[in-house]
Amino acid sequence: MPHCTPEDLGLAALGEPLADDEAAHLADCESCRGEVARLRRAVDALAVPELAAPGPPVAPPPGLWAGIAAATGVSAAPRADVVAASAPAAGPVPDVVPGPLPAPVEPPTEPVAPVVPLRPRRSRLLLAAAAALVVGLGVGAGAVALANRGDDGVPVAATVLDPLDGSDASGRAEVVERADGTRVLQVELTAGAPAEGYYEAWLLDESVSGLIPLGVVRAGTEEFELPAGLDLGEYPVVDVSVEPLDGDPAHSGVSVARGQLDT
Amino acid sequence: MTGLLPSRTGSGRHRVERVTTEAEPAPAGPAGPDDAEVGRRFAAGEEQALAWAYERWAAQVHGMAVRAFGPGPDAEDVTQQVFISAWTGRAGYRPEQGPLPAWLTGVCRHKIADTWARRDRQRRATEAAVAELNAAPAGGPAPVDSTVADRVLLLGELDRLGQPQRGIIELAFFADLTHTQIAERTGLPLGTVKSHIRRTLERLRDRLEVDGAALHA
Repeated sequence: MPHCTPEDLGLAALGEPLADDEAAHLADCESCRGEVARLRRAVDALAVPELAAPGPPVAPPPGLWAGIAAATGVSAAPRADVVAASAPAAGPVPDVVPGPLPAPVEPPTEPVAPVVPLRPRRSRLLLAAAAALVVGLGVGAGAVALANRGDDGVPVAATVLDPLDGSDASGRAEVVERADGTRVLQVELTAGAPAEGYYEAWLLDESVSGLIPLGVVRAGTEEFELPAGLDLGEYPVVDVSVEPLDGDPAHSGVSVARGQLDT
Repeated sequence: MTGLLPSRTGSGRHRVERVTTEAEPAPAGPAGPDDAEVGRRFAAGEEQALAWAYERWAAQVHGMAVRAFGPGPDAEDVTQQVFISAWTGRAGYRPEQGPLPAWLTGVCRHKIADTWARRDRQRRATEAAVAELNAAPAGGPAPVDSTVADRVLLLGELDRLGQPQRGIIELAFFADLTHTQIAERTGLPLGTVKSHIRRTLERLRDRLEVDGAALHA
């Protein structure tokens, strides 16, 4: 019986069954088996489930684009509602974050921390997903500068941000509508660096029962793209909070400046 | 600094449902060109094409990342890196060689393999540090996980294959098709498929035995 052909050795390395004669020879021939083993090293390394053709799609979390925009400098942005609707989100992600997760922030000694928890974590993320948020995540976290967009747009609403309860933060916020119909909120903040954590900008409704997180703010001017279809009449209050770096996306309940847009 | 927000009324829930319901039917259809055109514009460096590519294929890429690492920071990092690398490396994408989503899948394989390799480096660094702490006798550095290194090397070699060799071996490796099924799928003669498979496997073997040996030494 002659040795297996090189073609058959390749198929054997891929785990395909050979014809009876060839299979019988391979079982007995050390030389052919050695060849198959050498060819199989590549098969074993690459033909693994993790590298297989794409399986079920999973919608990326809404903050992911911000890092791509920051790293590439690309100012065109995908429509968040289209991305969110393209596939289910990753299972119960927010509830199985690896590693220890701090309990919901409810300061045990303080009688009031009424903002947190807002609502079940899952719903909050759905709101976030649907609302096209630019919440920092991973690479290039934080506000995405939209400065080089090229068209300055028309101011459609503005407010002064007044300091709250002894804070030293103040500023101004303005909503600008660009030529293409998209809107940005420009936040101009004057404030010292927070003792810990970071500042975050939000839009609230007047009863403060609905919140839309916009992203990280530093002293200076930052811009946030507003979700398409957002009714500013429904969320007219611009709020700046101090957020601890605890991984909890909810409002901390500690606001430092606020103003109501005159729409 | 304690401007506490007043208590919630719980009225937000209906808003959530409304917003998500609106999001569902959002069609990608009229808002952009067909996939092939997106691929050509992507290759040409048109920024809007990156946004369209993300709308259409980020879920496919993220699905692969989540399958490899579970939901969380590693998968999110992979998905971001795929689109960042694809954009900065768009000169390497040739629309005539295949559709953009297939190319993104290839980039995603690289990023998954890179993440495994990075984890392996971290593991060895940790083991080395522990060994030092224990004042263990110098036994040389912890061994590289050779499979992890092989994958990075082999994915690079796949990138160098022309068509139809590359498509054939990818169907065998990643779609788990037999050579008969590959012949049916591609319309190529059985003998041609078999000989491409053999030549590609030999090429990958040589790459591992020549460069892989140097790498692991």
